Amino acid sequence: MDSSILRQLKKIAGKESVLDQPEELMLYEYDAGVDVHRPGAVVFAQTTQQVSQIMKLASDRKIPVVPRGAGTGLSGGAIARREAIVLSLAKMNKILEIDVPNQRAVVQPGVVNLELSNATAKYGYYYAPDPSSQKACTIGGNVAENSGGPHTLALGVTVNHVTGLEIVLPDGRVVEFGGKAQDATGLDLTGFFVGSEGTMGVVTRITVKLTKLPEHVTTLLGIYNTVEDAANTVVAITQSGVTPAALEMLDGWMVRCVEANVHAGYPEDAAAVLLIELEGMREVVEEQAKAVSEVCLQQKAREVRHAKDEKQRQLLWLGRKTAFGAVGRVSPSYYTQDGVIPRTKVPYTLAEIERISKKYGLIIGNVFHAGDGNLHPLILFNNRDPEQVEKSHAAAKEIMACCLKFGGSITGEHGVGMEKMGLMTAMFTEDDLEVMIRLRNAFNPESILNPQKMIPELHFCREITGPLPKAKVEPVAGVPV
Amino acid sequence: MSSVMSMASADRELASIVGEAHVRRSDADSFHINGAVPAVTVYPGSPEEVAAVLKLANARDLVVAPAGGLTKQQIGGVPERVDILLRTTRMNLIEEYDPGDLTIAVQAGMPFAEMRRALGEHHQWVPCDAARLEHATVGGLLATGAAGPLKSSFGHMRDFCIGVQFVTTDGKVVKGGGRVVKNVAGYDLMKLLTGSYGSLAVITRINYKVFPRPRQTRTFVCSFPSLNAAMQFRTQLFQSPLTPMCVEIISPHAPEYLNDSTTVHDPDDYAPEQPISLPAIEWLVALRAVGSDNVLARYARELGAVVARTLEGAAEDQFWSWISHFEQNVLSRHRNAMVIYTHLAIQNVGPALQALERAAPDYNLIPAAVGRVATGNLVLAFIPLSVDPPSAMQYANCVSAFRGLLPPGSSAEVAYCPKEAKNHFDVWGTTPTDVKMMRAVKKAIDPKNILNRGRFIV
Repeated sequence: MDSSILRQLKKIAGKESVLDQPEELMLYEYDAGVDVHRPGAVVFAQTTQQVSQIMKLASDRKIPVVPRGAGTGLSGGAIARREAIVLSLAKMNKILEIDVPNQRAVVQPGVVNLELSNATAKYGYYYAPDPSSQKACTIGGNVAENSGGPHTLALGVTVNHVTGLEIVLPDGRVVEFGGKAQDATGLDLTGFFVGSEGTMGVVTRITVKLTKLPEHVTTLLGIYNTVEDAANTVVAITQSGVTPAALEMLDGWMVRCVEANVHAGYPEDAAAVLLIELEGMREVVEEQAKAVSEVCLQQKAREVRHAKDEKQRQLLWLGRKTAFGAVGRVSPSYYTQDGVIPRTKVPYTLAEIERISKKYGLIIGNVFHAGDGNLHPLILFNNRDPEQVEKSHAAAKEIMACCLKFGGSITGEHGVGMEKMGLMTAMFTEDDLEVMIRLRNAFNPESILNPQKMIPELHFCREITGPLPKAKVEPVAGVPV
Repeated sequence: MSSVMSMASADRELASIVGEAHVRRSDADSFHINGAVPAVTVYPGSPEEVAAVLKLANARDLVVAPAGGLTKQQIGGVPERVDILLRTTRMNLIEEYDPGDLTIAVQAGMPFAEMRRALGEHHQWVPCDAARLEHATVGGLLATGAAGPLKSSFGHMRDFCIGVQFVTTDGKVVKGGGRVVKNVAGYDLMKLLTGSYGSLAVITRINYKVFPRPRQTRTFVCSFPSLNAAMQFRTQLFQSPLTPMCVEIISPHAPEYLNDSTTVHDPDDYAPEQPISLPAIEWLVALRAVGSDNVLARYARELGAVVARTLEGAAEDQFWSWISHFEQNVLSRHRNAMVIYTHLAIQNVGPALQALERAAPDYNLIPAAVGRVATGNLVLAFIPLSVDPPSAMQYANCVSAFRGLLPPGSSAEVAYCPKEAKNHFDVWGTTPTDVKMMRAVKKAIDPKNILNRGRFIV
C-alpha cells in the first residue's frame, strides 16, 4: 500500500488504529467462509466522521474499501480483494440508546448481536434476529448481510427489525435513512440498504426494534427413524396453522457429531431430530405444544420430548448453535451451503443430497432452518486432497442446481459475497443484474466500496461502470443461464 | 401541449402493441388524476406488452401513470399531465400456489379480494386489510404500501412480499427476490418498490409469503375519558404478556364514520344530525385477540373493567372493515375533507393526536382519527363544516400548523384534500430519509422521469 495513503489513514484514525504489517494483515485475510485474500491495510474507525474522512480519501485516490465487522461472515463479503483497505467498524461498539417506551435501541455498527439482547433483557426486551454466530457477530455486519437465524421463522430477518440507519456514502457524505418510526414517507431506502453487503455505503449507526420477551417458551425435540418422516413433519406443522418461533432439523450424522461435542441430549441412534420452539402467551404455547406433538407423532416420530426446564432447553439449543463447530472437530475442512427451497420440497431435496453424497463419496451433514426451507448441508472434505476439493465443489454445485430447479435461492442468509457471485447468473438474468448494478451505482458509482462482490459485472454492465475485471461466471450443471 | 402531436401517432403504435380493443381514448368524463385526464388508457396483457408500451413512452417523453383498480390514484401531487394510464387489470391470474409452501405468485392486476378467496379455501391469508380490496389490485397495494389495522402485528406488504417482477422504463422485464421465504441473493428490490407509488417501475407480478388464518378472534373495545388515559392503557398493554393482533385507537369524532352510510349525501349539503354537538368525549382502544376460548378468556380477565363491549363473528368483521374504510367513509360524505397519514415513533402517537385535536378546530375543521398505536400509523381526517367550505389556503395553513406541532422525526403525508389546495403546500412533507439519495435512485431507474411525474416525492 502506498505510504502516503497509510500516512493519511494514520492521521485520520490515529497511529494505533492502522495495521499495515504482513503479520498483522494476515489476521484479516479471511472470514468464516472459504476465500482468502490479503488486504493492503486495515483501519479501525471510531467515529462517523473518521469513516467519512476515510471514504473521502479512498474515493479521491480510487482505492477500494471493504467494511468489516467481526469477520464471521460465510461468503467472503468482508474480505478485501487486491490492494484494498479493510475498514473495521469493530471499535464503534457502543449501545447509544435503549429507548424502551419506543421499543427501539440505537447502536453503533460494532455492537455484538447478543450484547444488545443482554443489555435489554432487564427491561423485558430483546433483539430478535439471532444468527448462530450471535456471540461474536456485529449488528453492522448483520445489516450488511440481512442475517437470519433460527428464530427468524416467526419474527423475520434483520430487515424486519431495522427502522433507521446512518450511512456514509463512498464520497464521504453522511446520510440518514428512516429513524425510530416503523416507516417513513418516501422510498424505503432503509429496507433497500439492508442486505446490500457493503456495496452501497458504510453503516455507522443503526436503529433497531426491540421485541418483548415472550411470557412463555417451550422447546420440543422430535425424534425420527427416517429423515423423510422428519421432513414431512415440517410440511405438516406449517400446514397445521401453527407458526413455531423456530423449527430446526439435524440429520443423524449431525446428531452424533453434536453429541460427541457438547452432549446436548439428542439420541445418537436417531436418523433425524426436529428442534421446535414455541413462544408467546402461556396458554397459546401450551395449546400449540400439544398440537405440534400430535402432528409429530402422526408423522411417525419415534418420540417427542419436552424440555423440562430452562437448563434442558438451553442445552438442546447449545447443540444446534454449536453444530458447525462440532463438525470442525471431525473434519479438517467443510463447505457450508445456504440454499433455500420451498418447504414442500424439503423431503425430496434431502433425498437428493443423500444421493449426491453417495455419488461423490463425501459425507454431507445436514443442519438447517427447516421451517424456512433454508438448508445448510455441510460437505466434508480434506483440503490437502485436491481430488476431494474438486469433488466438494462439484457436489456443492449439484446441490445448488437442485435448489434452483425448485425455484429456490442460492443463499438464504449467508449472502452472496465473493463465494456465490458466480452463481448469481443462475438465478438472475442479465437484465435483472444490470438494473441492480444501476441502483448500486446510484450509491457507489465508482465501485470504491466492496468492489467485485455480490453482483457480477457482466460484459454489458462493464460499459456502464467502467473497466472492471469480469467476474468468473461458472455455469451450473442443469441450470439454464 | 407538446404531447398532443406525439400522442396522435403513439395511439396507433399503442394499439399495435396491446391490440385495438385494449386502447381507450379518453373523453371529458374520463377518469382523472387530481384533474389531469390521461390522454389514453392502455391495458397490456403481459409484461412484454408493458415493456413495449414503456419503451415507446420513454422514447416520446410521454408521462405514464401505472394503475390497478384506481382506488388510490388521487393520493399525491397534482400532475402537470398524464399521457398514458397503464392499467394492469388484464394481468390478473394466480401463477403458482401450493398451500404447503405457504407462498403464492400472483399477477399484479389481480384484485386482492380474489386472491384472498383462493387462499381462504385453504384457511390461509396474506394479512392485509387495507380498504376496497374488491377493487384494489395486489400491484397497487404494494406500490402504495397500503395497510390496515393488521399492520399492528403482521407489518405490511414490505414484510410479506418475497419476490417481485417489474418493468423498467427502458423496457426491461426484471425480477427481484424469489419464491422462497428466506432469500438474500441480490438487492432487496421488493423493499424499494413497496410504497414507491409507481414512480420507479411498473409492477407485474408479486410473490407473497402467506400465513395460516386465525381460526378464532374476539374484539375488546375499551373506553377512556381522555387521550391520556387511552395512552396510559396502551403503555400498560405493551408491558403485559398479551399479544393482540390489532390495537387501534379511535378518536371521539371517529365513530360517526364507522358505520355504513346508507344514503350517499351530496357532500356540499350534507349535515349530519348532530355532527358538532359534542358527543361525550370518549377515546376508544379496540383490541383484536386471537386464540382458543381459554386464551380469549384470559384477555377478558386481564383487561377487566375498561372493556366497554365485546365483538365476535360477523359484527366483529364488520367493525374492523369500518376501521379499514374510515377514510373512504369520511371522503364519501365530505368531498372536501383532508386525510393525513402519519409515520411516528410509537411514543409520538399521543402528541400527534393532540396536535390533530388542536390544529383542526383552529381552522374550522373537525378532527377525527383512527390508527395503529403499536406502529405509529394513524389516519387523520380534517372534516370541514358544511356551512363553511374552507379556502385552499386554509388547508395549507392547517397542514403547516399541524406539522409544526409534531415531534421531530415524524412524517405526515396529506393523502387526500381538494386538488386546488394541493398546489399551496407540499403534500408529502418532510421525511427523515435522505431525499437526495431517493432522487438518485429514481434517476438510476427512470432517468427521463416518465413514471408518475410530479406526483411522488421523487
